Amino acid sequence: MGSFWTLWRASRKFRIGLLILVALILFAALGDVISALIGRGEDPLELGIYNAWLVPSLAHPLGTDRNGRDILVMTAIGLRASLLIGVVAGVMATAFGVVVAFVAGYKGGRIDSVLRTATDTMLVIPTLPLLIVESAFQRNISLLQISFVLAVFSWPFAARTVRAQVLSLRSRPYVELARATKLTDREIIFEELLPNLLPYIGVGMASASVGAILALAGLEIIGLGPSDALDLGILISFAISWGALSLGAWPIIVAPVAILSALFIAVNLINFGLEEIYNPRLRSIAGA
Amino acid sequence: MASAAATSPVAAAPAAGAPSVRRWLARHPFVAYAVRRFAVYVVTMWGALSIAFLFYRLIPGDPILSFMASLEQQYGFQQAASQEIIEHYREVFGLNGNLFQQYVRYFYQVLVTHDLGPALIDFPTPAQQVIARTLPWTIGLLGLSIAISWVIGIVLGAFAAFRRDSPISAWITNVALTFAFVPNYFIALMVLFIVAYRLAWLPSSAAYDPHFEKGFNWDFIQSVIQHGLLPAFSIAFGFVCRDLLSARMLVITTLGEDYLTFAEAKGLRPVVVMLRYALRNVYMPQVTALAIQLGFIFNGTIIIESIFNYPGVGNLLVNAIRILDFNTVQGIISMSIVGVLTANFLVDLILPLLDPRVKYWR
Repeated sequence: MGSFWTLWRASRKFRIGLLILVALILFAALGDVISALIGRGEDPLELGIYNAWLVPSLAHPLGTDRNGRDILVMTAIGLRASLLIGVVAGVMATAFGVVVAFVAGYKGGRIDSVLRTATDTMLVIPTLPLLIVESAFQRNISLLQISFVLAVFSWPFAARTVRAQVLSLRSRPYVELARATKLTDREIIFEELLPNLLPYIGVGMASASVGAILALAGLEIIGLGPSDALDLGILISFAISWGALSLGAWPIIVAPVAILSALFIAVNLINFGLEEIYNPRLRSIAGA
Repeated sequence: MASAAATSPVAAAPAAGAPSVRRWLARHPFVAYAVRRFAVYVVTMWGALSIAFLFYRLIPGDPILSFMASLEQQYGFQQAASQEIIEHYREVFGLNGNLFQQYVRYFYQVLVTHDLGPALIDFPTPAQQVIARTLPWTIGLLGLSIAISWVIGIVLGAFAAFRRDSPISAWITNVALTFAFVPNYFIALMVLFIVAYRLAWLPSSAAYDPHFEKGFNWDFIQSVIQHGLLPAFSIAFGFVCRDLLSARMLVITTLGEDYLTFAEAKGLRPVVVMLRYALRNVYMPQVTALAIQLGFIFNGTIIIESIFNYPGVGNLLVNAIRILDFNTVQGIISMSIVGVLTANFLVDLILPLLDPRVKYWR
């Protein structure tokens, strides 16, 4: 924990990012509480429970949608679903990416060039069309399936970042020392390299999660995506297909967009903060 | 990397009896580099197209049958399509034969004949023609917004670097940091809501007003510009922020350099020092970054075009997928892969010629 407080004190970006992230997670976790507070014994997500298109008021801070559901509750529940998809996809992508990165960066040579070419290929392919095709042909795709597909397309990002770090760590004196004392490859990777890479892996996972959430939101905005989920992207797509924009019913579109943006900004701020701390040269350059 | 050894002069020198090709390559490192880069280009292209192809075929379900099913659903008739009809359409859409035959035919179509077969979305126009109709809109929209945002981003970034103690500069940087990675479709939705619906200043969809005759008349051009402004802004905004940040970073690292102090000491105006001296170092990394991002750029454009109903490639892709138009979708995906990889290849080839400091070959 000591190192955490050093991080906390060292960078304002890190502090702000973490605060936003924690607030969002709390908001998602308290979804049921908010639902109970607003519903007062009834389910505020039941169709037609309130009047449609209510403007924001004390009872309904963000108003209601076309089916009379409370938008604040929908947002909280939607954020929970989005976070869940993101975490599942992010963990899968990071795990695979890290394995590839370690094999490539540590083994080097021909294996490295093959894996690097494969990674670069995946990076330059416009992946969204493929994702769109997948979701179009499988109309009733489940959340787990879509997380898996999202992971398939986002592992290269994690792999690229981690590989660069493995390369730089591999030639450090303490790794040389470990090798000289005849530690096995596995011991070196798990005991010497991995602990030093955890911050990067963490950031990579957060970025991959957010990337997956946003990719899914993008799919849903153009009207494709899983049908059984109530996540933030679906809210936006409802808003568009109901013509909420021209009706002036702003909360149903502003709330999810603002929350997803805040999520993305928070993760990036944490990312920038860590860079500043771990890369002091950058701090002196970047100033603020 | 068999050719890697050939490019290294050290490896080639001791081999006295080596083929003369090797010695020649050792004396012409750029050609060796180009050959090697071309090999990587071919391999990546093959890999990417194969992934796209296999990805398609591995999707469970038969596109022809699911198209039939959606037709039946749509028009409410029971069509027990005869086997011959289904076979005929299999052939037309390149789905007959085993997987390997399809694979070979796919490469032949994409790389040699450029004939993708009929498009369902505008049957029986060939898919490549349908795609070609939409290409100018996408290229125009993307090209213009990238070019404009590039200039604005670099100039603002240089300004933020030069005046980095002023509050305006700090403000600009923080705004850019905040919005640099917000997906462009969020920007699009917000702009659409505020400018098109609330204020009603600009149209919300399509690329031109059909009232005007297409061609070089002022009304039509004006309408094209009006319709393009919002999508272009949505694409450009994130670019400006990102270019600003990276330009600022690159310029700040050069600020202490002697040649800048010298330029100032000569009495050159600050604007000249900034544009002619400091920014020199910014162009090249920015070009490379742009090439690497091309894939993402295309990803983002699909959604933007769909939101604004802009008649470009991205919107065509979404519409084609809605009716399961196999040939068009496959054509667009292959085209985007070939386009992105070729652009990357060309940038890697041209960059060392433009910037003498870049040496990929060693």
